[in-house]
Amino acid sequence: MKRLKKEKVLGFLKEMGNSATVYCPQFQAGKDLMLLPLGDSLYKGEIGKTTFAAKNILFPQSEETLSFMGKQISKVTDSTRTLVFGIRPCEMRAIQFTDRFMTRDNFIDPNYISRRRGMTCMVVACQEPPSDTCFCMDAGGMPYLDKGYDIQLFDAGDFYLAVSDSEQGEELLRNKHFEQGNEKDEERIEAIKRKAVQSQKNRPGTKRAIEILKDGTPDKTFWERLADKCINCGSCVYVCPTCTCFNVFDLPLEGGFMRYRTWDACLHAGFTKETSGHNPRPTLGSRLARRWEHKLKYDVINYNESGCVGCGRCSDACPVGLGAVDIIKEVNRLAVADPV
Amino acid sequence: MSQTLVVCPFCGCGCNFYLEEREGKAVGVTPSREHPVSKGALCAKGWSAYGFVNHPERLRSPMMRDHGIIRDVTWGEALDHVSTKLLEIKKEFGSESLGFLSSAKVTNEENYLLMKMARAAFKSNNVDHCARLCHASTVAGLAASFGSGAMTNSIEEFEDAEAFFVIGSNTTEQHPMIATRIIQAVVNKKAKLIVADPRDIRLAKWATVWLRHKVGSDVALLNGLMHVILKEGWEDRAFIESRTENFEELKNLVAAYSPERVAEITGVDPESLRKAAQTYATSKKAMIVYAMGITQHVAGTDNVKSCANLAMLTGHMGFPSTGVNPLRGQNNVQGACDMGGLPNVYTDYQPVADPKVKKKFEEAWGVTDLNDKPGLTLTDMIAKAEKGELKALYVMGENPIVSDPNAHHVMKALRKLDFLVVQDIFLSETAGFAHVILPAVTFAEKDGTFTNTERRVQLSRQALAPLDGAMPDWRIISEISSRAGYPMNYKSSAEILAEINRVTPSYGGITLERLKNTWGLQWPCPDEKHPGSPFLHKDRFKRGLGRFEGREYIPPPEVPDEEYPFVLTTGRVAFQYHTRTMTRRIPILEREAPKAFLEMNPIDARRLRVRDGMMVAVESRRGQQRLPVLLTSVVPEGVVFGAFHYGEANINELTTSAADPVAKIPELKSCAVNIRRL
Repeated sequence: MKRLKKEKVLGFLKEMGNSATVYCPQFQAGKDLMLLPLGDSLYKGEIGKTTFAAKNILFPQSEETLSFMGKQISKVTDSTRTLVFGIRPCEMRAIQFTDRFMTRDNFIDPNYISRRRGMTCMVVACQEPPSDTCFCMDAGGMPYLDKGYDIQLFDAGDFYLAVSDSEQGEELLRNKHFEQGNEKDEERIEAIKRKAVQSQKNRPGTKRAIEILKDGTPDKTFWERLADKCINCGSCVYVCPTCTCFNVFDLPLEGGFMRYRTWDACLHAGFTKETSGHNPRPTLGSRLARRWEHKLKYDVINYNESGCVGCGRCSDACPVGLGAVDIIKEVNRLAVADPV
Repeated sequence: MSQTLVVCPFCGCGCNFYLEEREGKAVGVTPSREHPVSKGALCAKGWSAYGFVNHPERLRSPMMRDHGIIRDVTWGEALDHVSTKLLEIKKEFGSESLGFLSSAKVTNEENYLLMKMARAAFKSNNVDHCARLCHASTVAGLAASFGSGAMTNSIEEFEDAEAFFVIGSNTTEQHPMIATRIIQAVVNKKAKLIVADPRDIRLAKWATVWLRHKVGSDVALLNGLMHVILKEGWEDRAFIESRTENFEELKNLVAAYSPERVAEITGVDPESLRKAAQTYATSKKAMIVYAMGITQHVAGTDNVKSCANLAMLTGHMGFPSTGVNPLRGQNNVQGACDMGGLPNVYTDYQPVADPKVKKKFEEAWGVTDLNDKPGLTLTDMIAKAEKGELKALYVMGENPIVSDPNAHHVMKALRKLDFLVVQDIFLSETAGFAHVILPAVTFAEKDGTFTNTERRVQLSRQALAPLDGAMPDWRIISEISSRAGYPMNYKSSAEILAEINRVTPSYGGITLERLKNTWGLQWPCPDEKHPGSPFLHKDRFKRGLGRFEGREYIPPPEVPDEEYPFVLTTGRVAFQYHTRTMTRRIPILEREAPKAFLEMNPIDARRLRVRDGMMVAVESRRGQQRLPVLLTSVVPEGVVFGAFHYGEANINELTTSAADPVAKIPELKSCAVNIRRL
């Protein structure tokens, strides 16, 4: 257990910047909080909910994956060392979830994994929900983490209380910017945790929704009715920290070709459309069902954990109110109307 | 890696996002959460907007046609040739023989410069752009009714409306972020929605009343609504008396549009008409929303005036969440009009024929003899080119072969030109006909301002260095103008904006400094203290009193007959943008809507013995096209629908160039076709 004074954060991050690309929450245009490479001018020490979670760093919107030069085919990966400061516990859970997904059945995603290996994660536990769409506890998480981070920081006013859960984290705590705490710090952390738990009031009913979906499939009209609002923009998918579907295409380069992958959205018809023209998910409603059954049903069956960490980003972004909070509430209502 | 705040390059919603740059290339977008339109989301196109910026097919060198062969040339050679050739043609045939198309895709500054070059350097008022094909009738119609041809209210105000009357706008497809406001207001705030559209568009699902009127019967429908309103006494007497003129004429005119007669013309039953009239008239905050379904008709201006009549009749004008709201389709089509990219006006619609205005611009620009005769519209330029009277055409960022009606006629006209210059980012269909091709840069590679559909002037910032070999449009224009003897020495887009501020009353207070620290300013904003105008015509119309101009219904120029028994109507899909020069190069968007199609009602299909996906020949009096059939009850019997995005199966080879007599907007929404099984 160490302490990190808030006034020393910038100095610490700058020092880290010598050996890694440092990302932290910063206000763009003075207004939008985003996870950005550290720059003097934008850094204000702000912690909050950034537009994208760290997904945008580990699995960028578009990236090169393979180059074809004559007969030479080579992987293009990025093993840049990065340090991400100020992500929230739910986002760390999303990274843990994605780590497992990207290595499942011994099928390793080289692009993701090379970036992930180079990434150090410094989580700041939540004292209160960063926005009113947050529902991490309802989604099976906590406003802090028990494991799976490099460093976790607890806000104690002028300073953070810092704990580590990895060798890397342990080593970072030995950095000169961290100071020794006192014997009361353990207790302080417990008090912060208790307060944080009490502040989590948003309970859309994730567990119940999972139960309902586990036991049966809602009538098709349920999803179609919701999808009537959907404009098929993909915003919910793109801001989701656990959505990692992508599209692949090649473009000519001088002397060869480059293979790219870009974020894709299962709400688009072309995502499942087959070459014959047949589409197993032909309607927007069937695709909305696919997306939510994936998160709340099949992820639970396959990994014993839902694919939704309760960050609420889809609810923040969706322009027609079809984010996780709304969907989960709707599924709960379904149970009331028509017990399965 | 860097992130730069830019304005989305697609529709007129004007969303803002941060464009992500990595190693000099555009690699992603982050929607702005705080921006009043985007609010943390983007539509499918916006999310992919980075995708075409560094595409390998970008033009990287100026090109010239030499004895039929296109070869790369240096910038110096290309610019010299363009300026010399334009001067030669001007000398031999006069300035009337030159035409200039500005662009709804480039910045205000660039539109301003193009029209300045046309007028100051070449003394030609033949300046127009594709607003001619989308909202020319709005500009003409609303200017006559209100004195200002722009959207009267704001996007944020949609959230508080009690009723919407959406006519001729497939909002979920073309203006997705505006559609979401309508849907949210209907779902969460119980707002009422009237949809008038021949097609069963997605919004129809949310409609309190859906009026499925016949293609091109809008004036009759609108007159019918007004007839009912007056008969029931739902009009706003106080508003009519204090704010409008010419009411008696309208009253007499709509008296002849009984619901029964309207039903005959439009196919809308009297009960639905009555319900729609009541819903709109008796709601306090009611907004009329329209787009191409109103404007792209021979009766486009009449349609617009009739919408204006309806709003004034019910007093739904001059306060928040009301008004007449034309939705503009391109990210700077409003700005291109505001900047005087039109044959009859300078910036802020100051008439070229007004001697005081002429003098003002002569002084501002340091020239004499500005041409005071309004120039040719885009549609007239094409017609004159075909006749050999227009000799040279300078096209900046437009693709008329795909966007204009009757494509064969357009191609024939372009072939006749002595000199065609196309300035673009990709080799468009039109660039294929050019004598000189000038490679310009995308939105990402330059600074400048764009004006969205709600008159919000917004700053878009340069995120990337210009592609090697390409140049920003404003630099290209400056170079050509200077070489043609009218020097332009702007060092930045900001200098041009400062000049715009000086000569454009409505943009007087929209300075760079203010734009840097706001989400834009809505014109009119005459001085630096002015906060901008979220809605127009508050206590007084721009022209003083609002003018009722009752219009009679006239049928579309082509109605189905034995030889051509179907009505073909055209439009767009959400995943493609206009002539597809950008979106066809974005794999996800192209995957979603890869090819042209023809929507047909299953009942018609059964009669023609056509199955889903089958190719048919679609023939009009002007051309024919082979298209795969998409069976759907979205279209009514007797009507087929195609999207105009696809140059390789160009639906505009079928459409008619018959145009509105006032606004010269062509009838893109209706022509008669025959369909043959292959």
